[in-house]
Amino acid sequence: MDTRKNRYIGTLILGVILPFSGCKKLYNLPEETLYLSPDISYTSQILEPVLGRMNILGSVSTNYSSLPITFEIKNPRYGNGKVYNDLFQVKPTYVWDAEYTGNETTLEEIESKRHLEDHPLFEVDNNGNFILWPSSNNELIEPRSIDGEDLTQNIRYFDLKISNSQGSKTIKDFQFLPWRERPYDPYTDIDPYTGELVPDPLDPSNPNKHDHITPSLSNVVGEKSNEQLVINSEKRDVVVYIKPFEGGNGHNLRFKFLNTDSLPINPAQFNETKWDNIIHGFNKTITDKYVQYDVAYPIPLTNISTKYSSNGNASVNFSYSRLGYGGILSISNISLEFKIFHPGDWEIVFHFINDNPKFEDD
Amino acid sequence: MENTYQNYRFKKLRSIYCLLPAILILFSQFLTSPLLGQNQRFIKGLVVDESNNSMPGVTIVSFKTKKSLGQTNTKGEFTVKIGDNENLLFKFIGFVNKTVIIKPTDKNITVVLKEDQNGLDEVVVRGYVSRSKELSTGSSFTISGAEVQDVPVANIEQLLQGKVPGMNIQINTGAPGFRGTTQIRGLSTLSVSGSGNESFLQPTSPLYVIDGVPLDANSAEEMGYQQQGPGVSPLSMIPQEDVESIEILKDAQATSLYGSMAAYGVIIIKTKRGSSEIPRIRYTGNYFVKTPPKLRSTLGGNLERAFKINEILQNATSISDIDKISQTPFLSDSLNAYYNNSTDWQGLYYGSTFNQSHNLAIDGGDQTFSYKTNLGYYNEQGIIQNTGFERYTGNIRMDYQPNNSNLKFMGQFTGQIGKQNKGSGTGLLQTGVASSGQSSTLLPDPSFYTSSNEYLSALSTDDDNLVKSLRANIEASYMILKGLSANAAVSYHFQSKTESTFVPAEANNMITKNYAYNGTETELYSRNSLTYSLSLHDKHNFFFNAFNEIRIVNSQNASITQVGTANDQIKGPIGFDAIKSEGGIVDYNDQRAISFALAASYDYKKKYVLDLSYRLDGSSGNGFDDLYTKNPAVGLRWNFSKENFSSELDWLNMGAIRLSWGINVIPNSTLQRIYGKYNITGNYNGEQGIGIDYGTIPNPVLKPTTTSQFNLGLDLNLFHNKIDLIYDTYYKKVDNLLFDMSLPNTVGFSTLNSNDAAISNYGHELSITFRPLPATSKVDFMFTINGAYNKDVLTKLPAEYGGQYIRFDTGDTKQHNLYRVGSATLSNYLLINEGVYATDSDVPVNPKTGLRYQTNGTFFQAGDPIFKDMNGDYILDEKDYTRTGNNQPLFTGGMSTTIGYASFTLSINASYTWKRTILNNALADRLSLMKDPFSSTAVVPLTDINMWRKPGDIAKYPYAYNYTRFSTISPFRYDQTLWAEDGSYLKINNIILAYQFNKRLVRTWGLNNLRVYLSMDNLITFSPYSGPNPENVTSMGRDVSNGYPVPRSYNIGINIEF
Repeated sequence: MDTRKNRYIGTLILGVILPFSGCKKLYNLPEETLYLSPDISYTSQILEPVLGRMNILGSVSTNYSSLPITFEIKNPRYGNGKVYNDLFQVKPTYVWDAEYTGNETTLEEIESKRHLEDHPLFEVDNNGNFILWPSSNNELIEPRSIDGEDLTQNIRYFDLKISNSQGSKTIKDFQFLPWRERPYDPYTDIDPYTGELVPDPLDPSNPNKHDHITPSLSNVVGEKSNEQLVINSEKRDVVVYIKPFEGGNGHNLRFKFLNTDSLPINPAQFNETKWDNIIHGFNKTITDKYVQYDVAYPIPLTNISTKYSSNGNASVNFSYSRLGYGGILSISNISLEFKIFHPGDWEIVFHFINDNPKFEDD
Repeated sequence: MENTYQNYRFKKLRSIYCLLPAILILFSQFLTSPLLGQNQRFIKGLVVDESNNSMPGVTIVSFKTKKSLGQTNTKGEFTVKIGDNENLLFKFIGFVNKTVIIKPTDKNITVVLKEDQNGLDEVVVRGYVSRSKELSTGSSFTISGAEVQDVPVANIEQLLQGKVPGMNIQINTGAPGFRGTTQIRGLSTLSVSGSGNESFLQPTSPLYVIDGVPLDANSAEEMGYQQQGPGVSPLSMIPQEDVESIEILKDAQATSLYGSMAAYGVIIIKTKRGSSEIPRIRYTGNYFVKTPPKLRSTLGGNLERAFKINEILQNATSISDIDKISQTPFLSDSLNAYYNNSTDWQGLYYGSTFNQSHNLAIDGGDQTFSYKTNLGYYNEQGIIQNTGFERYTGNIRMDYQPNNSNLKFMGQFTGQIGKQNKGSGTGLLQTGVASSGQSSTLLPDPSFYTSSNEYLSALSTDDDNLVKSLRANIEASYMILKGLSANAAVSYHFQSKTESTFVPAEANNMITKNYAYNGTETELYSRNSLTYSLSLHDKHNFFFNAFNEIRIVNSQNASITQVGTANDQIKGPIGFDAIKSEGGIVDYNDQRAISFALAASYDYKKKYVLDLSYRLDGSSGNGFDDLYTKNPAVGLRWNFSKENFSSELDWLNMGAIRLSWGINVIPNSTLQRIYGKYNITGNYNGEQGIGIDYGTIPNPVLKPTTTSQFNLGLDLNLFHNKIDLIYDTYYKKVDNLLFDMSLPNTVGFSTLNSNDAAISNYGHELSITFRPLPATSKVDFMFTINGAYNKDVLTKLPAEYGGQYIRFDTGDTKQHNLYRVGSATLSNYLLINEGVYATDSDVPVNPKTGLRYQTNGTFFQAGDPIFKDMNGDYILDEKDYTRTGNNQPLFTGGMSTTIGYASFTLSINASYTWKRTILNNALADRLSLMKDPFSSTAVVPLTDINMWRKPGDIAKYPYAYNYTRFSTISPFRYDQTLWAEDGSYLKINNIILAYQFNKRLVRTWGLNNLRVYLSMDNLITFSPYSGPNPENVTSMGRDVSNGYPVPRSYNIGINIEF
């Protein structure tokens, strides 16, 4: 057999098949590209975070653009074009490693679940969420003006570049208008613009009176009046102060009760209170003036539902029982939902203004 | 000489099923021998092949009388008695017939038979004209009728599975009389209709041309699962015994002459014609058992109760759940009537059935005049009760070609009746049966008292579907001059489709329901053609074929529903609830189509072939702007084995390279798309107003979908017919696909039928046939393997979409589809499942918020599925969907082998599909049965499931027993890749063992031929798929639990010839 001819035929056959095996190029088919929607948008481009706490802001609709998408803050400037960098100072801040459950038995156990990490005060993550870390404060970032009139040259602007391997798109002119720090919540006693005390709504022109935080009362009867103590728009029988105190170990939380003479009420009077379930704290110290715990800040640590929390707030409930008329067991409760954002030694004071609670049996 | 030779060619074909010569031997030897005249003498000889090997079993036929004179013996020798001036014809399968002129002096002759250079004298059909395969430039594949016998099926398409490279047939329903899906060369559509499990891909079946008359097989299926009318597939109406040959045209060169309807390929079916000088009667009978596949195992009675109580006790999250046990009688009250039962609900519906088919063929005649009558009966009871298919067919054909005349005439008349029973389902889906099959075993047996709706509905629904079809076609041709012929064909087809369903009151919430559907369709088809062939100096050969076609199609369908008749006995016409009853014309169609086509072919010494064709297709549905679609094609062929350089090569018997290009154009316009839809809406000045429907904006400039295709092929026949190879590679582009585009709400209309989508398919097809044993071997062995690789790529979407479109599923499955330019067309858009959380601490925690990964406010925990958080926001929502999987297969093909020894023949056919993603929704349903232990659904044992059971388990499936998780995190939601499985399979389609009785023996019984066979169909499927059958899935690749399972069948059959 003629090998040369064999080879000829072989070449012929290969010559037919080969050009078609690299088909994709030959057929000039489009390469698969990821999708970046031209309609990526945010529901609002004005960001109004509160300094000094964890803020996750922004609601992006990526319109099913292909992941991963990267988001970058570009062109930070004031309204007058002046560049700012204060938002991007890198400071250590807590990030979680494991889930806080509310069942931890020591402070160390809680601390082992988080660690400090360096982050710019303000950044954008891969989901398009803007993060203002709790490491921010009034000193590092100047909050909005106290009169509420923000001039364009004082407003921080930036653009956002959104890209994936398909391309990029820039959303222009985000505004960053931070509120000054509010170390705790509810913050009804302080004006969010100025950080000053809020005048008493019942007597707004009196400079000596101001608004307060109020707890919830249930079946608390006044000692003198023998009537239920109330909190409403006309009358506040009990108010709450959330304030720092001196002499703690830096992460204490104290509960105090003051009578109408501003003298401490012995916490033991609140005889039905489950002091171990009041707050996720340790090293409980009960004196006749206050109850104190070692705690981890912020309070609550996360907004998971635990036995210490309700609706994402720390929830405390002090209760006592006494015998009412006819020998009925009467249970009274004073409760408060709150948050404290700044670490420190804090005390929460329940002040009976008009009448002391009646602990005695009828 | 030429004519007589033709005669013999014809005789050779005939002898495949005609054993007439064998009888004649008897006659000649026993009856005629005493009558031998003086002019008779013996002649001896030897038959050898080209390599000088002796050839036993060669048939020797008298040239004059056409009678068989005998066969060569084992040494290749023969002795026959001949008269004067007798010439002998030597025939042997696989060899070229040889005529030997016997001189008066010859006493001992040696005959050399030449091996048939395979396939070269095969005939293919192009543009209704038979052409030599040697000169064909397009890609086609022929299957003989013999290959679709011996396994009784309602639909012959089933038996083509795995036989044709590039034709992907999925037998995805076992419903009797229905058909699976057929695709030639990949995906040609983007249109998905329906939602949830009932999503289906617009069927793109090939055009069927039956005895020269085109038949649109898609029409019955346009409505998908919710189709109206009987839904009998037109292909189910052809008895397999009557099929002579099937040819599948794949590339555009082959199909473009068939115009618009041929864009998805063409399948040409020829029925048998009479061919026996002595009239003969052939009977084929099949007796077969259909058995349901293995059903879902279910815990029965006490086991179910214990299981449910245990499930509650282990996973209750509140005391009220525990209390609820004692409030649920069938769980706790031993005196309750529902307590002590163990009903096998599935067993009530599914069962084996005995079926039969009979076919009687009578034929006779010779080249001048032949006739045939074929009567067929086929009956198949579905494996689901109250479903089935019955068919009666009759086909009469007559062929007449007077001697010495240039006239040829063929007349045929076909009548078919198909009767189908769909029970309470829609045929393809049996939702009622499926949901009732999931009923708790604790429920008592069905009876009138319990009025188990679904059961009664499934069994007592009186469903009667009839398709009656009559078709007459005549064809005549006249040779005007040598080489110039005129041909005319006319066919008239009438079809009536009726459906009548009556649901008795107790099966339908005490309200009777009467449904009647009535449809008629007529089609007048006519074709006139002129063909001219011319040969110059035996070198330059020309062939021209010009024809026109006219089709007139009329159809009208009406339906009526009457609800709430007086009782189960009075089904109307009076006394029904007039408010809920409705009826009217469902659709109406009056279509005219006219086509003109011209094909020209040139070859030089049969070495170089050029084919050119052009077809104009006009249809009344096209709209005036684009009345005629244009379908051009070009084909080239080079028979390189005829070149000098290769003719010396011993091993190369035949070799050819084909190259073709062509276009098929399908109009997209319909009256409604062009002019919009008008509805009766509102009123004006007290008069009824008719206003435009604001759903879809009229689009008069809708472009037709254009399919253009390149094909490059290689045909080889090697080593003296031992290896036969066909290779094709193609590139098919489908442009201007219809795509519904949403419009902005300011436009007024909500959607626009746009034209701006396109798909490309490319692939390779290979078919290799081995016949390793020499023709003289006692064992006859043949092995064929074929495979096709097809890849589809979405190349274009309307510009507004920016390259991506998501088809959100509005059904309960939420299994979305993503169309992205540059990727596989039909990708799934799902959540990625990455296993199961072994422990709570495995759930990731958001470092910013300290919260666990969550969905809908519920945190994931141990035993829950791990859904990949694509965007990393620690919240599972619709942003976490991603493109995954391709629900169209990448490789399809099949294998078959035939082994014959002595009188036995064994054939095995297999088919395979490789690389296809299917979604096992049936398993999702099965695991979801655990979602409410208080409900009256069945529970299934999950011991075989790799499921998380206790903290630390590494498992595939999430914890099913914690029923409280179903409402929060839905561990078994459909829209996740947990159900995405590899749907590859290798299926042994069928095994046939046949025994041919000794002819002498059966003659003593008064028979001419007797053959018995055993066959098994849908024997076994090998697959990594965890569900029962990876093929029994929808065209969108979803294994739905309410589909109709594909049965296995065992058959005993018999062929008798009188």
